[in-house]
Amino acid sequence: MPPLLLGAALGFWGWQTGVLPVGLAMALGLEARTLVRSRWDLQRADFNRVSDLSTVLLVLMGVYQAVANESARAVTGIIQWLPLLLFPLVACQLYSAAGRVEVAVFFWSQRTRPDETVRVDLTPAYFGLCLLAASTANARTTFYAGLVVLAGWALWHVRGRTGRLRWGLAMAVAALLGWAGHVGLAEAQRVVERRAQSLFLSWIRRDPDPYRTTTSLGDIGELKLSDRIVLRVEPGPGARIPALLRQASYNAYHAPAWIAVDGGFTAVPPEADGATWLLRPDGATDARLTVSAYLPRGRGLLALPNGAVRLDDLMVVSLARSRLGAVRVDEGLGLVTYTAHFPRRGSDESPPTPGDVRVPPRETEAITRVAAELGLAGRPPAEAIAALRAYFLGRFHYTRYLRGAGPGRTALEEFLLTTHAGHCEYFATATTLLLRASGVPARYAVGYAVHEWSGVEHRWVVRARDAHAWALAWVDGAWIEVDTTPAVWIEEETSPASAWQTVSDVWEWATFAFARWRWSERQDRLTGNLGWLLIPLAAMLVWRMWARRRVGQAAPAQAAVMPSPRAGGDSEFYRVERRLTELGFARAPGEPLARWLDVVAAAAPPAVATAPLPALLALHHRYRFDPAGLAAADRRRLRTDAEAWLAAHPPGPASGRAAAT
Amino acid sequence: MRRLLHRSFRAVSGLQHRLGRRLTPAGQLAGAGLLAALVIGPNTRLTVAYQAATFIGALLLVALAGVLRRPPALVIRRRLPRFATVGEPLSYPVTVLNPGPRPAAGLTVLEDLADPRPSFEAWRTTPAPDEARRNRFDRAVGYPRWAWLLSMSQRATIGEQPLPVLPPGAEVETRLSLLPQRRGRLTLSGTTVARREPLGLMRALRPRPAPATLVILPRRYPLPPLTLPGARRYQHGGVALAQSVGDSEEFVSLRDYRPGDPLKRIHWRSWARSGRPVVREYQDEFFVRHALVLDTFTPAPTAAFEEAVSVAASFACSAGTQESLLDLLFVGPEAFSVTAGRGVGHVEHLLEILAAVQPCRDRPFATLDRLLLERQAALSGAICVLLGWDAPRRALVSRLRGLGIPTLALVVTDPTATPAVGADGEEAGVHRLLVGRVGEGLARLRGDA
Repeated sequence: MPPLLLGAALGFWGWQTGVLPVGLAMALGLEARTLVRSRWDLQRADFNRVSDLSTVLLVLMGVYQAVANESARAVTGIIQWLPLLLFPLVACQLYSAAGRVEVAVFFWSQRTRPDETVRVDLTPAYFGLCLLAASTANARTTFYAGLVVLAGWALWHVRGRTGRLRWGLAMAVAALLGWAGHVGLAEAQRVVERRAQSLFLSWIRRDPDPYRTTTSLGDIGELKLSDRIVLRVEPGPGARIPALLRQASYNAYHAPAWIAVDGGFTAVPPEADGATWLLRPDGATDARLTVSAYLPRGRGLLALPNGAVRLDDLMVVSLARSRLGAVRVDEGLGLVTYTAHFPRRGSDESPPTPGDVRVPPRETEAITRVAAELGLAGRPPAEAIAALRAYFLGRFHYTRYLRGAGPGRTALEEFLLTTHAGHCEYFATATTLLLRASGVPARYAVGYAVHEWSGVEHRWVVRARDAHAWALAWVDGAWIEVDTTPAVWIEEETSPASAWQTVSDVWEWATFAFARWRWSERQDRLTGNLGWLLIPLAAMLVWRMWARRRVGQAAPAQAAVMPSPRAGGDSEFYRVERRLTELGFARAPGEPLARWLDVVAAAAPPAVATAPLPALLALHHRYRFDPAGLAAADRRRLRTDAEAWLAAHPPGPASGRAAAT
Repeated sequence: MRRLLHRSFRAVSGLQHRLGRRLTPAGQLAGAGLLAALVIGPNTRLTVAYQAATFIGALLLVALAGVLRRPPALVIRRRLPRFATVGEPLSYPVTVLNPGPRPAAGLTVLEDLADPRPSFEAWRTTPAPDEARRNRFDRAVGYPRWAWLLSMSQRATIGEQPLPVLPPGAEVETRLSLLPQRRGRLTLSGTTVARREPLGLMRALRPRPAPATLVILPRRYPLPPLTLPGARRYQHGGVALAQSVGDSEEFVSLRDYRPGDPLKRIHWRSWARSGRPVVREYQDEFFVRHALVLDTFTPAPTAAFEEAVSVAASFACSAGTQESLLDLLFVGPEAFSVTAGRGVGHVEHLLEILAAVQPCRDRPFATLDRLLLERQAALSGAICVLLGWDAPRRALVSRLRGLGIPTLALVVTDPTATPAVGADGEEAGVHRLLVGRVGEGLARLRGDA
């Protein structure tokens, strides 16, 4: 691996994934190996430990990603952090005397094998991993250029001997081909996705289908809905609670389904800041409302107030809007929070068409009968609506129990003429069709009713059971909401709430807080926290390494050899020799000890006792070189005699050898 | 079904081999990167891994275009030695001639080894040593067995050797190095001249057949100066260079004819000189003759078996220098007895035979017993290299000892195996050698033997 290349790849990874400081620190850590001369004498057991650390980190990261993301993003999330997770192992390889890692480290089954397995160099694979991990950050403008530069740098060092010009030409051709290929590939996916979109949506969507909704009209049994909180609403100036948040509206009834005819979607371009989306450029607004909603897999229909003109702070990649007012996110984060601006008086978009006053033939009889009974024909829209409200409020009651249709009658006929009881879909469908019968253009809308104040969260919350249906009527050039379901439905829905409601609400609030933290400000918070988490881990690793013995800088590709301890290296005679040197009797390089002692004896003044020295030397020689070693008594004699001599000859100026001779 | 599996393993191994030759290490990394990017990047909205995939794909495509032009044809002649030894790198000279009109630069040479892929029969019948521990799926599919057999028949690794610049018509000598990994016959099928394309991801290849073989001898351990059991007991006369074997008769002197002497012993020239019949007198000679018994009774060629062969080879070598005869006894397809020492046979011959020893799966241990007992009268000592210490093996050793033949028993076992030796107290002359620490165990023999 050429110098600095690995560091550059790590820096690139850090830059792309938005953790440049971490990437640079890791790069510095690896590249400093050229400056540090010592290496650690790491054995297989040490590598096993470091490998286990990486595995533990990987498992933790896997759990975190599985909790925080849905599957596809969890996988890329793990890959994105792999360079960090494998960093300890690569660092150990580069700072170890062996310079390579045994394959057995990666396999539990081979760890117990006594013989040495193949050693591999992890750095080329690590280099590739850094580039792959950088790709998961989805930096669409800079990634390719960085990839080409780094790959070129790496390939320059392994190029064939065919000249620089040819190499440059080949790289340029490959870079161009790769560029054309990826642009083509992205375009191909876009085309395929566009074709398969409606099919795809109907398959994976949990939201209402913007093209068609099937009501429970005519079903038998009890409606059961979940208490899960799906939306959180904070009204701004001008907004009133209770309110209705619409997800989709439909214009044709074909029992039991409402269908959006001509409800195709068109993409909405974002404004310059990327977070503001103008749904209707010419619309005036006087109220606003902030909604937080989960988007499974980053896509779904937004719940919006009637006639929303503009959406602020909506961090999504692409948005589309249908002619009938449904707004769909095609790619975004798992949780979105947006502020919707809307006019209080209602929406004037998508004026009515002839289809908006059509009553289906099967329902004509019952509808006409009720309309005649109420005298709706020819009345102004506002009066007709008031009459309908009074009619449903006075004569009908709300029930979640579905009785089904009688023989030979439609469910709507049964509701209007016999039972006078039903849930919101009945009221909304009947209202829509009765309005149409009185000549008022009307549509059927689905979404959520906002009515519950959460003491836990201090904001308005909307649960899955607050899903609601109502009618839209075209009055004075605007679509207004006509909700004729008796308000008692809210109490009916709330009454069976379980005793665990508060506990589950607290839990939901906690998960919401986590999700908001998770998805806010992109991923910087996560990164920062993960970086802090690494500090104690890194410190632990460094401490463990420091505690180990180090060996001198090994020559490249040469295993460090521990010097065997020298026999007799602790002989006290060395101190005697040093003391004599201090006294001025320095030994010439290569001069044998015995001959040197002779010279010292001849030259020393009487103050220096040279008589015991030959005996000491003989003991020292035996201690150093006798394969059988020195007996304990002799060893003691060497020590005591030498120390006695040393005590008798304190260091200090004496007549030196030079002076004596 | 099994044939289909075998065929697919063959195909995959063949593809791996071809890719390994065609792609340089950088190319292999690029290939792995391409696969990984393809796995991560199918969704072009989620990540930009598809950009990496297309770029790597483009690199490989350009590299592929670069290897369309083949390197020039060179004439390569290698001079291989007859033997190599496991674990000891071997360097051999190769002469390369450039017959073309243009200089050849930037070329490398690769050796082509014979196809190591095991046959269907071998794959079906040879169990891998650790097969019993494997899970049911592995045993049923048999890929670990395939991989193990493949590694067993890959006897050596030979690196890529760069060639110097060859002017037109020039001949240069270079050296190739080979690292023998397993004993047996190494067959080289040819040489390949390779050239890296400009990006350095692939090699353009020009193979050329050039068959040659080499015997890889077993690994040998240094033995301490060892007094083999029974040595020196029959060392009469110090006849070091006798051409005869065992209880043979050796010429001693001439003497007068006595009635009954066979006519073929009459020494005609002495009769002519002296005028009376003279015959040659012979007497029986006694040599030190050791049996080196190798236990081959194991279902699979395990690491312990390989080590046992190495131990036997080590003894064969050292016995050759100790002025004695050595009978190598083992049971392969049939019972073998090969003699070496004192000019009868060469140690190389024994090693060559040991290089080819295979486990015996179809005969009982008693075959070895019989083989040994047939020769017991001539033996002065025995060294038994055993693969276990079960009842038949104990019986063999105790029978030899009962016959007055000093016996050194070496039991080579896996460290994880239950310590059969030593469990009931270390018996005299029985030593356990652990796989992976055999050299250490042999060095320790010095004090005990």
